[in-house]
Amino acid sequence: MRDSNPFIHFEAISKVFGTVTVVDSLDFHVAQGEFVSLLGPSGSGKTTLLMMLAGFETPTGGSIHVDGRRVEHLPPHKREMGVVFQNYALFPHMTIAENVGFPLKMRGVARAEREARVKRALELVRLGHLADRKPSQLSGGQQQRIALSRALVYEPKVVLMDEPLSALDKQLREHMQLEIRALHRELGLTVIFVTHDQGEALTMSDRVAVLNRGKIEQFDTPSGLYDRPRTRFVAEFIGETNLLAGRVSQRQGEAATIVLASGARVTCDSAAAFETGHDVMISVRPEMLHLVQDAAAANALPVTIEDHVYHGDHIRLHLACGESRLVARAGRRDAAPPIGSKAFASFAQGDCSLVAP
Amino acid sequence: MSARLKALLLILPLVIFLGLFFLWPLWMMVSTAVQGGTVRLAFPQTAIAIASWDGSGPPPAPLQAALVRDLRADTPQERFGDAVRTLNSQQAGFRTLLPRTARAVRESGETEAIDLQAVDPRWSDQGYWLALKRSMPAYTDANLLAAVDLKRNDEARIEPVEPDFAVNRAIMLRTFTIATQVTLLCAAIGLPFAMLAASVTGWKRNALLIAVLLPLWTSLLVRTAAWLILLQDNGLINQMLRAIGLIDSPLALIYNRTGVLIAMTHVLLPLMVLPIYASLIAIPRNLMPAAAALGAAPLQAFRHVLLPLAMPGLLSGSLLVFMVALGYYITPALTGGAGDQMISSVIAFYATGTANWGMAGALGLFLLVPTTVLYIVYNRLSRTPLVPA
Amino acid sequence: MSVAAVRPGGAAFNALRLAFGALAVAFLLLPLVAILPLAFTDSVFLVYPISGPSMRWFGALAESQAWTRAIVNSLIIGTGATVVATVIGTLAALGLRRELVPFSGLLRSIFLLPMVVPAVVLGVGMQILYARMGLASSYLGVIIAHAVLCVPFVLVNVSGSLASMDPALERAAASLGASPVDVFRNVTLPLAMPGILTGAVFAFATSLDEVVITLFVAGPNQTTLARQMFSSLRENISPAIAAAAFIIMILTFLLLLAVKGAALVQALRRKRGIEGS
Repeated sequence: MRDSNPFIHFEAISKVFGTVTVVDSLDFHVAQGEFVSLLGPSGSGKTTLLMMLAGFETPTGGSIHVDGRRVEHLPPHKREMGVVFQNYALFPHMTIAENVGFPLKMRGVARAEREARVKRALELVRLGHLADRKPSQLSGGQQQRIALSRALVYEPKVVLMDEPLSALDKQLREHMQLEIRALHRELGLTVIFVTHDQGEALTMSDRVAVLNRGKIEQFDTPSGLYDRPRTRFVAEFIGETNLLAGRVSQRQGEAATIVLASGARVTCDSAAAFETGHDVMISVRPEMLHLVQDAAAANALPVTIEDHVYHGDHIRLHLACGESRLVARAGRRDAAPPIGSKAFASFAQGDCSLVAP
Repeated sequence: MSARLKALLLILPLVIFLGLFFLWPLWMMVSTAVQGGTVRLAFPQTAIAIASWDGSGPPPAPLQAALVRDLRADTPQERFGDAVRTLNSQQAGFRTLLPRTARAVRESGETEAIDLQAVDPRWSDQGYWLALKRSMPAYTDANLLAAVDLKRNDEARIEPVEPDFAVNRAIMLRTFTIATQVTLLCAAIGLPFAMLAASVTGWKRNALLIAVLLPLWTSLLVRTAAWLILLQDNGLINQMLRAIGLIDSPLALIYNRTGVLIAMTHVLLPLMVLPIYASLIAIPRNLMPAAAALGAAPLQAFRHVLLPLAMPGLLSGSLLVFMVALGYYITPALTGGAGDQMISSVIAFYATGTANWGMAGALGLFLLVPTTVLYIVYNRLSRTPLVPA
Repeated sequence: MSVAAVRPGGAAFNALRLAFGALAVAFLLLPLVAILPLAFTDSVFLVYPISGPSMRWFGALAESQAWTRAIVNSLIIGTGATVVATVIGTLAALGLRRELVPFSGLLRSIFLLPMVVPAVVLGVGMQILYARMGLASSYLGVIIAHAVLCVPFVLVNVSGSLASMDPALERAAASLGASPVDVFRNVTLPLAMPGILTGAVFAFATSLDEVVITLFVAGPNQTTLARQMFSSLRENISPAIAAAAFIIMILTFLLLLAVKGAALVQALRRKRGIEGS
């Protein structure tokens, strides 16, 4: 957190629709100038959280502060937030310039100043030449940039984006990710970005809140989430992982020895949260798993190579380790061991995380 | 203000408007149909006054004054006559008593008080007043029975009316027959037409659809007038048939059932085509090729794939056409003969011709109920909207 | 021709399809086409062939007080009924939009009933009601009666255009600082306008064509064009009827064309824009 005094502060916020609790007593804060993503599967409550911030849903309980002011009972048009919607929501009956000028018109900005600011806002997204077109005459990517420029033109305190890139194809999406990041840096915006695409969340954000069933599983930097998942949900939802079930048999400071179901013993760091005798899951990313012939290597598990699949930049090895199946990632230059051969899968004790089963 | 309250306020004007000028008139029609009979109609003020007289003792002065006011009112002759006949069947003597009293009342001055007993001593006989009270029940089934050619005899038992007056059932049967015939004709033309429109693409499909939509957007009256012109003895159809030598003397195509069926089929055909077309167009394009690939011959594919999928549309269309055809008035009135008039024209006759609203209402009920039931069924079954926008 | 030859895809089948299509289109369109030229006949009979072109029957309409009166009445009553139906129909469509009101579906079905209830039945009821309310044989009475029949068309069309509107647009406007009134004026209303206009045109066309209810509630002073045509068709058929039909058709088509044409042009422009970008 860059600021001890949070800019946006959700406190014990809940939303219940009928009998369904969509957001479950969340505490959550965002510093000024931060880029935060809300990541989760559909139904996790991420969009509801955003809509409560924008004013389209009223929280069932709790409070929301923005810049020191309670906002949860303000109507949307008094919240001064720029919202970018999933399908852009450009007004089809207005020109691009009218669309971008709309928030200024609503604020009573005089025509001349309005035109100048619209021009600047359009140039920010490099679409000044399209000012007189109608939205329907623009491509998806162009519409996306107009929606962005419209949300930025009145310099809102916060920009909220609800899966703004989901309608674009992959190439355009990656391009827009870079563009939004650049704008964020350039203008020092506070951005809250809802997405179900973990790659998008990891590449764009300062911090990511992973939501599941209305609760925050983990709120962390991208590398924190990937390298140190704190729950099984996060380990499985972010990237790909191998999960090995076991029980803590011995603690040595931060590290612990874990006995796997197969009887094998492995050692893992950062086991502070687990006592001796706890059931745990060890999460090892495929690229941290190495094939070796040496049974004495660190955390070496006997495996049989079941298949290898060529992926262009790497090779994926499918391994059988007793009853469980593991995936390892090998460089394309590594010699793939023949199918059916035996080997050991090894990982460093610092390259795994422990999560509750 | 809550969103729900705002929505309610927006709907309110229409609710009030339709409540006042749509549901209320329908309710009044129904209640008029069952309100106590002909006597009540001819003596409305007496009807109100007599309700508060318990039948014992001499009739109070306000009741007598009410009767005088009713006799002075400008009641249509036939309504007065109906009332006298009904009363006379209750108590012989009314046939002479009422006309005599009416004459005396009219001959007297506008404000003059009338002593009924002085006009005719029979008015002091309580039996006449009791008969009057008996003939003015608040509710009666007389109109409803008459609408299906039934009546109550003097013992209040239900029996058929004399064959000479029994016309309503025949007209109802005719109405259902014509509506059925029109529905079948529309289905016979509409189903292949919709299939044709769904099977072609581009300008051909547009042309076929425009051919359906243009008549729909054209005035009903204009279309009926056009058929009148086309079907008359020296109209285009007869001229053409004569020109190609099919006939020597003109065919009678108008002012008979043929004319009614042709014109009504034309008017209602779009209502059949559009729902069928909508259900056909929703069928995935590759379904017929799939059926063929699975070994179905074209006719088999048609019978087992296309036809079942077109059924909902056919059903909606048929319901719609039948429902609308039941209430038709203008087209049969203009293109049919005396023997082709439907129930609507009888209702119109009672309402505008003789101001017999009780009878009009009773017959109207026999039209309103089936139509409403069909509409409910239609709403249940159909996903196509009532009006193609 | 054997039965086997008439199979889908076969030449005989295609010929049959073509013949059926042509006949059906002729059946649908012939009446509309046949009546128009007769408006310009110089004969006193409504028959073909037309011996010579003439405007005499339009002249006859213009000279006849009954017809000119009827045309003026139709315009007055049509306009009145359209305004009433469009205003309350549009409000109701807005209110029904999000189904916030209990029994929205049922209400919608009831609102469409005037389209279904036989005109004669409603006519009887209105005649009884108007006799009591003193609305019989008045312009206001006829306008109200027509508006009842017109409302469903407005409701259906406006609801259609509201349903096709992306609800995010109104949220977007609010998030950009528009108050509820501004959202309605700047977003909802302009986007609903095509539906409102189409509904209004259908409403006007419905009023223009209405005969039955008019027979029941209008007095001689409120005789409309349709009512006048109806009695002429019953009493003395003359080419004046074709001239009146011509006026009705042209009026309806011009209005429809204006609304549908505008929508079509917009759609075409949109399509071209997308292809161009």
